[in-house]
This record gives sequence, C-alpha cells and structure tokens, in this order.
Amino acid sequence: MDNALYVGLSRQMVLRRQLDIVANNIANADTAGFKVEELQQKTNPAEPAFTLQGPRPIKFVGEDGVIRDFGQGALRQTGAPLDLAIEGQGFFQVQAPGGMRYTRDGNFRLDDNGVLVTQGGYPVLDDGGGSITLDPTLGQVSISQDGTVTQGTTRIAKLAAVNFQTLSTLEKTGDNLYRNTSNQQPTPVEDSKIRQGMLEGSNVNSILEISKMIEISRAYEQMAKIMDSNSELSKSAVQRMGKAQ
Amino acid sequence: MQALRTAATGMAAQQLNVEVISNNIANMNTVGFKKQRAEFQDLLYQTMVQAGAQSSDQGNIVPTGVQVGAGVKAGSVYRIDTQGTMTQTGNKLDTAIDGRGYFQVLLPTGETAYTRAGNFSVNDQGQLVTQDGYLVQPTMTIPQDATNVAISKSGQVQVTQPGNPTPTIVGQLELATFMNEGGLSAQGSNLFKETAASGAPTTGVPGDQGMGEILQGYTEASNVDAVSEITALIVAQRAYEMNSKVISTADNMLGVANQIKS
Repeated sequence: MDNALYVGLSRQMVLRRQLDIVANNIANADTAGFKVEELQQKTNPAEPAFTLQGPRPIKFVGEDGVIRDFGQGALRQTGAPLDLAIEGQGFFQVQAPGGMRYTRDGNFRLDDNGVLVTQGGYPVLDDGGGSITLDPTLGQVSISQDGTVTQGTTRIAKLAAVNFQTLSTLEKTGDNLYRNTSNQQPTPVEDSKIRQGMLEGSNVNSILEISKMIEISRAYEQMAKIMDSNSELSKSAVQRMGKAQ
Repeated sequence: MQALRTAATGMAAQQLNVEVISNNIANMNTVGFKKQRAEFQDLLYQTMVQAGAQSSDQGNIVPTGVQVGAGVKAGSVYRIDTQGTMTQTGNKLDTAIDGRGYFQVLLPTGETAYTRAGNFSVNDQGQLVTQDGYLVQPTMTIPQDATNVAISKSGQVQVTQPGNPTPTIVGQLELATFMNEGGLSAQGSNLFKETAASGAPTTGVPGDQGMGEILQGYTEASNVDAVSEITALIVAQRAYEMNSKVISTADNMLGVANQIKS
C-alpha cells in the first residue's frame, strides 16, 4: 500500500522541478535571445508489486529531458547600431575563455580595442573564425541581412551565423550562451536574415507559463490529497485489525 | 524550492529595469543625455542529466539532458549613443555636437571629464565654463566688451569687439572620441569619465575625420523617446507581477506539503 505513497511522491518531485523550470522561463521573459524550456516526463516502471491479488504493475513518474523551443522570439527595435537579431535559424559564434560558444543574443558592443564583443566581453567571430575589429572614426557601421559588416564603404568582415543538425545536444552555460556537447560540426546558415538595430526578445509566452503554473500547483494539491487518503486508509486498516483481534 | 529563488532573481532584474527606465524618463529634457537600457542574461544552469552522455555500452547517447536554470541577472546597463535632436536656443554660447565626440571639461580635482552638454556660460573672469562652472578645455576667455561671439562648425571661436571691424580668434574648441563610448563611466551632471573599457581619448578639431561638427545656438536634446520608455515600463511591470505570481504559487505548494497528514 505504501507504493501509492511513493508514486505520489515521485509525481510531486517532478512537479517541483517543473515549477523550477517555469520560474526560470518567467524570470527570463525579458532576456534577449532566451528560448523557452519545458520538462519532458516519462514513466519509470518499477518491479511489479506483489499483492494478494497477484503482481500489480507500478509506474513512477520521472524526468526525461528538458525540451527547448528554438522558435523565433519577437524582434524589438533598440536603435543601437551594434544590436543584432537573427531572423530565422542560427546562432552567432562567440569565442569564450572556455571554448566556442553560440548565442542568439546579439547585444554586441566594441571593447577598448574596437573588437566586436558580447555583453560579457567575449569576441564575436566572423565566417573565417576571426574576431571583428571596427574603427569608430571610419564612419557609420552597417550590417547587411547576410551579415556583411561595412564601415563607410569598406567591407570589414562577414558575421557567421551557424546552425546545428540537432539542437537538443546544445547545453546552456548561462550568460545567454550555448555549448555544443556533441561532435556535430556547426554549418553556416544561408536563409536567415540578420537585422541591425534590433534585438530578439525571448520566446516565452507568459499566458502559457502562467497556466502551466496553475496546472502544476493544482496537480501538486491532488497528489497531496491522494497521500492524505492513503494515510487514512492505513489508519483505518490498523484500527480494524486491532478490533478483529 | 528553487522556484522561489529563481522568481526572486526575476523580480530583482525587473526592479533594475524600472530604475533604468525611470532615470531615462526623468532625464528626458536633460541636454546631451543618452538613454540607457538594461539587458539581461540567464544565470547558471544545474545539469541533472547531461545531454550527449552515453546511455549504454552500445554507444547510445542521451538525446536531451535535464538542465534547470537558476534565474536571471542584469548582464549590462548600456548607453545607446545615438544623436539627440537639435534644439534651437538662440544663445550664442550654446553649442551642440552633430556627430561623434565629447567636449572636454577640467574638473576641480584636476581630472578631465567629457560631456555632450554644450550649454556653456562664462564665469566672472570671462572664461568659458559648463553649467557647474568647470572650465571647458582648451580654456578660452571671452573679452568683457565683446559684442558678438561666433563659433564655426570646426569649433573656432571668434569675437567682435567695438572699434575693430575684423573678428579676433580667442580659442579653438576640441572634441575627444573614444573607441567604445559605451564604456565611459557616467559621473552625473552630464559628465563622463574615461575607463579601461572606453579606451584612451583621441582629441581633434571638430569636423576632422570621425569627429562631429559644432552647431552654435543649438543644444542637443536627450535621445529618450517617451513612447518607447512607457511601453518598456508596462512590460517591466507585468514581468514583475508574473514573477511574484511564481513566488505565491511556490509558497502555496510548500503550504500544501506541510499539510499532508502523517
């Protein structure tokens, strides 16, 4: 009979984890390039429980994986010339101290040497894998839809937008960066457009997240109810058995 | 419960957002003010199941991992250094920079500060000073009997004195530019200071390559756009509310757990 208790507990633990993920989505609703996440659940079949009526199957609830929705976030105009957004698929390549990172957050700027860097100060790479150096005195920076960086009339570099065959093996490392955990190689994307003076907002749908949260909280209460009635059952069983003696 | 702390980081981030927006709105009519934006980044992720890890000896790999994020942080508050609109004032000593560059100002501490606010005045000795009375560099003195002051596009300051039909040059305004203007540190009173992030200043005459030109009789208004600030404020307020909802839900769930009969 304790099995019902443990099955309920496994569900509650998953629900808590789900709430953690919803909370992270909502906290990042205003983070540029953030992609919404959802917990995928699975059933964990355990050894069948042996009861008087014979073996009964038990299935616990478990976490399977976190699914990321890489859908397009809304583009918002910022007016800053080095704010870039990718319309379509792909990531900017960033050279972080720990290795190559990928990001959809195009909130770039120049460092004191004129190198194009991310908010964290990591160089943004061009299609040849080198960093991009601009000289502000040479005039207006314009970045075309295919990522060609032009200053005045001089072509400086071409920003690399790359994509992966399988996006699920990308791992978030914080600071809006992703790390490639598999051995697949990034390939340049052709059909995406780079928009200058814009940033991609998160693709968090707040109404969806709030309703998910309501669902989680109600399911949690339900489980608590089941555990309560389970405890009532044991109690009355103990009482009856006492009387029967 | 992680959700409680995650939502708290969300509320703190939105609070910062509102502070930045309110500073923009408060400075909407400040000469030479540049609007700021708070940009956010996600915090560290706790990896429960590693994506790409081997799930069997046969080389099967875990297709999707389980990563739970810890919330959000302010990545940076950056200045958007676009040109503000020019407002005609008619004042002879009002100057605006059309293009890149900053005026240099000598602080009482001996340090140099930089400003886009060109609404200058003269002090009791006739020297060109800012609204706070700090000397504009290079220093110049406007004679007391000057009947007219003319500042050219390239920053040359000429005065006309009675009894002399030809104007006399009293000084030359200079501008300073930086590799990364966004890296300047704001000091208040419309002043900025050089930092390691901004790089060293390059000084030059207005109109030189990469330098703006001077407009006399104008001031540069702030580049704050009221409508977009108000919209950003609404978004920030709603995001704040949503995070507080997460806190109350997490609290509710903890309450339920406490009430389970033992």
